[in-house]
Amino acid sequence: MPSTIVHAGFALLLAAGLLKGAFDRRALAVLLVIVVIPEADTIAGLWLDGAHRALLHNLTIPIVGGLLLYWDTSYRERSWLRDRWGWWGVRVAWVGLFVHVFAHVLLDYAHLEGINAFYPIVDRFVRLEGELALSTTEGIVQTFVDVDLDVGVASEDGTDGIAADVGVTGTTADTHVDNPVEPSTAVEDDADGPVERLFPVAESGWQLYLVLSGLFVLVARRFQDRRERDDR
Amino acid sequence: MAPTLVNVAAGVLIGLALLGAAVDRRSLLVVALAAAVPDLDAVLSLAIQGATNAVFHTLLLPGVAFVVLYWDTRCRERSWLATRYGWYGVRVAWVALGSYVVAGIGLDLFRPEGVNLLYPLHDRFYAVVGRLLLSTQDGLILTFVERGETPLWLTSPGTTADHHVATWVNPTPGTGLETGVERRLTLVESGWQLVVVAAAIGATAARFRLERTDEDEQDPGVKTETDGEH
Repeated sequence: MPSTIVHAGFALLLAAGLLKGAFDRRALAVLLVIVVIPEADTIAGLWLDGAHRALLHNLTIPIVGGLLLYWDTSYRERSWLRDRWGWWGVRVAWVGLFVHVFAHVLLDYAHLEGINAFYPIVDRFVRLEGELALSTTEGIVQTFVDVDLDVGVASEDGTDGIAADVGVTGTTADTHVDNPVEPSTAVEDDADGPVERLFPVAESGWQLYLVLSGLFVLVARRFQDRRERDDR
Repeated sequence: MAPTLVNVAAGVLIGLALLGAAVDRRSLLVVALAAAVPDLDAVLSLAIQGATNAVFHTLLLPGVAFVVLYWDTRCRERSWLATRYGWYGVRVAWVALGSYVVAGIGLDLFRPEGVNLLYPLHDRFYAVVGRLLLSTQDGLILTFVERGETPLWLTSPGTTADHHVATWVNPTPGTGLETGVERRLTLVESGWQLVVVAAAIGATAARFRLERTDEDEQDPGVKTETDGEH
């Protein structure tokens, strides 16, 4: 996984733009919890094969959560969330959902073996990788999704029509995503000796960038608030 | 040079985060453009050797802008910007400057091609690349910082004389417009960049929706932020 710190940095950048009046210490604390909780499936991985990046890293939870939230806040006559925490609670809940999807699930979707997108309904790890470019010799180059346009032609495995390779990497049975709780080396080697556990903060320049841009926004916001208080 | 689309996406996210009550279509466009402007030095590289990631990616330019903006908005008795455009103009100017530095220059600094940070005073490209992690065997592993012969302790891919950053404008080293070479305008290079672009689009849509609905509903955030400066 890109480290939790990278997720938190990107989440901060997104949340600062969406919380508006609800941007306060309490809201940021709630969002931090939302960012950290999915990593708990690394611990579940000790008992359940392939649980990491499947159990809590999927799109099923945010879809169900989003429907519930919509039903509660827009459809019901009296919203439980609004009664309990008012306007603030509704805003933080929606931003939390947004941050969970973009800063956590989708960022992991583009990293290592990806995520188990629709676990437990469909057990398939998928990974987002590719590029999008315009070339003077090749035209539009798009390698995120490989679409095989053999319409009407039966391919070897019996499926006909359009076959699309969306970056499937495996199922919970054969996929293990490296993490500090269960390092890949320990899973594969069954070694008795001490296992090296790596806790990444930032594995590359862009990950450090996301962390720093989140911090930049936090510092700039405090600066703006102070100035506004001084001016009054 | 990172794909300009990704620079713009990062700029939009910074704009949404910092513009506050000044968020509207016009201010967001200004902030997004500020993130794209540094990449225009690729055009200058057709005439100036090694200008890509150097001429407009230098910190001197925003440094001068910072001094001018600070002097105008804080030191002068009557700020020209505030008189002309009010609180809105001052806020947009500061956020656009931040977007230029963080989304325009910053994003390119954290890539192997690097950025010529102090061009033309000190002609050297610098890049913040490496990793930072904690290992139970080796302790702290930090390779972002590198003590070398360069004054800044960062990886350096070279100077304008020997380091060329390939772009679709100028794909080959040296100056001059060449014909018959493949030009490739990269929009998105990898998965994480696509996620950043998607997040910027999603956040913009969500924020404009909020701006519309908040006019009807009571949102304390709208009222507390409308006055003040910076």
